[in-house]
Amino acid sequence: MQAELQILGAMASGDAHAFARWASSVEQPLRLSLRLFATSVDTEAVLQETLLRIWQVAPRFTHDGKPNALLRFAMRTARNVAVSEWRRQGRADQQEALERHLSAEAEVAPITPDPHLREQIVKCQQKLPGKPKEALQQRLSSGGVDDDSVLAARVGMSLNTFLQNFTRARKFLKECLEKAGIHLDGELT
Amino acid sequence: MTLEEELLLEQVTSAHRERGVDGAIRSHPAWHDLDEAGREAAFEATVELRKMEAAIDAQGHSSTVRALLSRLNAPSK
Repeated sequence: MQAELQILGAMASGDAHAFARWASSVEQPLRLSLRLFATSVDTEAVLQETLLRIWQVAPRFTHDGKPNALLRFAMRTARNVAVSEWRRQGRADQQEALERHLSAEAEVAPITPDPHLREQIVKCQQKLPGKPKEALQQRLSSGGVDDDSVLAARVGMSLNTFLQNFTRARKFLKECLEKAGIHLDGELT
Repeated sequence: MTLEEELLLEQVTSAHRERGVDGAIRSHPAWHDLDEAGREAAFEATVELRKMEAAIDAQGHSSTVRALLSRLNAPSK
């Protein structure tokens, strides 16, 4: 818990890179907590909005003395953001599923990087064919800043061609990792 | 899944999201054009993609985290 308090202190003092380290460790559990909302809200937008709100409240956040306090708070925030968006869309037809989700209390913990995955994916990335590699590289370089149409124009592809190449890259990497015994649902074989 | 749906799905896996006039992060336009099965598939594809991105990135940041850093005017190191 000492590490958690240190990172919270850094975030509270405006250290954006401390925030990024924390966000990287909690992104996966937060995203997975939104799975039941996947058909009702754009979970990527909800997740980004949630993390930005955590950054904004970090200076005023009071730790409750129990492990993963900020992550637990983020889980509640993510749920609230998703529910607000859901209600804004008037999705009353899914009220039952919403109530089931709200009553569920998930066990949460931050995720640490998997060095085996890192080692393998670099090898797989090197095997990618030219155009899919180019499309993947554009997305990686952009880091979510640019729209795909901008990235496509940058490499002289139509948007559709860019997206098809990106699909090939994503599927190639997944299959390559699976051949190495790495399944992205977290299971090692 | 049709080619058109696959292209929509792939756009949704991007971490790029616009901000609305109220400052809130907006849904990707392509997300609204997907049906429920497409939205579920986009969610699962994004889960996997972010793990790959974080594994490739030297700092261990996915494109979601890097997009947030950019919003905070603090580019990745």
